[in-house]
Amino acid sequence: MGKKKRGHPDIEEILARPWCYYCERDFEDLKLLISHQKAKHFKCDRCGKRLNTAGGLSVHMNQVHKESLDKVENALPNRQGLEIEIFGMEGVPEDVLQQHQQRIITNFYTAQAERRAATGNPPPGQNGQGPAKKIKIETPEEIKRRLAVHRAKVATQKAAGANGAVASMPADGQSPAQGASPFPPPQAGFSYPPAGAPGAPPFPPAQTYPAAFPPGPSPPPGAASAFNLPARPPSGAPPAGAALPQRPPYFYNGASAPPPGYPGSPSTVDELVAGAARQGDDIDQLIRMAEKGIKPGKGAAPTEEAGGEKKSKKDKEKNMRMVYADTEVSPEEKMALLPKYRFAIEA
Amino acid sequence: MAPSTQFEAAQPPSDAISALVFSPDSPNRLLVSSWDKNVYLYEVVDGADEAKLVNQYEHRAPVLDVCFGANRDEAFTAGLDQQVKKIDLATGEQTVLSKHSQAVRCVVFSPEHSILISASWDNSLHIHNPSSSDPPITIQLPGKPHAMAASPSKVVVAMTARLVHIYDLPNIASALASGSASSIQPWQQRESSLKFLTRAVACMPNDAGYATSSIEGRVAVEWFEDTAESQARKYAFKCHRQAAPEDEGGGDIVYPVNALTFHPVYGTFASGGGDGTVALWDAEAKRRMRQYQKFPDSVAALAFSKDGKYLAIGVCPGFETGMENYSGEGKTKIFLRELGETEAKGKGAK
Repeated sequence: MGKKKRGHPDIEEILARPWCYYCERDFEDLKLLISHQKAKHFKCDRCGKRLNTAGGLSVHMNQVHKESLDKVENALPNRQGLEIEIFGMEGVPEDVLQQHQQRIITNFYTAQAERRAATGNPPPGQNGQGPAKKIKIETPEEIKRRLAVHRAKVATQKAAGANGAVASMPADGQSPAQGASPFPPPQAGFSYPPAGAPGAPPFPPAQTYPAAFPPGPSPPPGAASAFNLPARPPSGAPPAGAALPQRPPYFYNGASAPPPGYPGSPSTVDELVAGAARQGDDIDQLIRMAEKGIKPGKGAAPTEEAGGEKKSKKDKEKNMRMVYADTEVSPEEKMALLPKYRFAIEA
Repeated sequence: MAPSTQFEAAQPPSDAISALVFSPDSPNRLLVSSWDKNVYLYEVVDGADEAKLVNQYEHRAPVLDVCFGANRDEAFTAGLDQQVKKIDLATGEQTVLSKHSQAVRCVVFSPEHSILISASWDNSLHIHNPSSSDPPITIQLPGKPHAMAASPSKVVVAMTARLVHIYDLPNIASALASGSASSIQPWQQRESSLKFLTRAVACMPNDAGYATSSIEGRVAVEWFEDTAESQARKYAFKCHRQAAPEDEGGGDIVYPVNALTFHPVYGTFASGGGDGTVALWDAEAKRRMRQYQKFPDSVAALAFSKDGKYLAIGVCPGFETGMENYSGEGKTKIFLRELGETEAKGKGAK
């Protein structure tokens, strides 16, 4: 047995995480959740004051700005109401709480099943009893068929006199889901054994790996931590912001299939969460970073970026961009010159 | 406390708004000049949250400014066609008062002295006596005027090259009476406190000073009185800016401050910027009192009604650097905000 900690927390850990009623985001601890709520949902858009609850914000808007608050900002469409008093995890209605847990559990097992399918690792306690690792190996018949198709294509092109040999083989060697895969397997970069057995007919050149292809890189630390976000639907993974080192590019062997078992359509709540997650702003990113234990300044890429940021703040004054910057000619004068408005005095 | 409400005027101009002005003696009467060559007259209906279009007056060319005259049916306009016109709002009759040799940028009327002043891009002011048919007196300016405002006794003209001239109205009135243009000299010549092109000028209703704004998201407040103490009181501040997203390099996006207007009762003032926001400032306490919800487009013009009950906000796309075409069509709107009792009341200096 190797290390038990694999970056996939178990279901109890995930269920224990505090989460935000308004946007379904979950957090490492209650303090982070509360600061998130104050920043995203209970912040006054007039003066930036952060209140503790939606009710508090409503009173503030009323008294200070003489305006009425009609909904909670950045909330899911069905969670914008002001009637429910939420503070941290307090005040979440029972049915919503259960719904959330159910969703987490479902997501967890889906993700787990996917992982197993992708890695081929059996579930704990079942040695080798799990589903076989899904590697698509072409049977000789399939290979032959493909070759025939390819030859036919080349032949027709030759007949047509077109020198488009290059154009003829593009889709052949690439997995259709490459890059666009919503849930790239964690062991990306794993090289499959060549599908062609010795003596098999030669494949089109697109089948070979790019020269620069690394033989089998291990996933960088950041990639693992990206999967550390439990129970989040894969499509909703937070945008790989400044905090995450860039993931290595994924290469699939031409014969391999896209990762199996990905649930086709996430439930509506999932979609909503995914939408909300994409809107993540600086504060949320900071919170996320704190959760992952990534400190700015750890690792090469983030340090550079943080340094750059500081610099830009320093010369912020110089860094301003004026919407209208002509210091001699007024906007009206420019508009007056447009053919639409120009007035020609008749002699 | 009466809640503040906001509503949109029906039938707004079909292109960008150049100016808004409320009648001095009929607080619900609003005139709007537009680049669509028309001047529009609206009547705000109290309690009904609506503003009805009463009449519109077509011109030969886009209208760059409008102001009310001595009574509720008299108005003056500044046209891109180089003419200063008088309009009888009741009959629609238009009279050409004078012709400049370039487009006319601004018109102001001083009810205290019955003087109409027009400022044109031909670097001149025309001083009219609207009640006589005498030709106007011409005053040469050192730069192109871009904004002009009158207080009870002064007229502030802001020009290119950061020039600001302040004229004394009683002085102008006597010169007009004697017909001697040569005796009119600026009462004060100042350099703008702002580094960039002046965008708007507004005078304090108590005749103490004025505010100017520039294309670089900044407003300056100054006092007329030429003493060291008064001049030490002047200040400027940044506003109408937005932090740019970090992925676009950060820093600030700076919008022009297109409009300034003082509250006739409380002496506080409102600024409107290219960012589509309107903010209310307390000039004495040097504080922002309110910032209203963002409007869909740039704020082009602002006006308080003379009783201070309404704030009219002209909204249309702003002209930005690099624009090769411009159209305010379909995006031009007039919002009217009915202010709460104390909404625009300042807290006084600290």
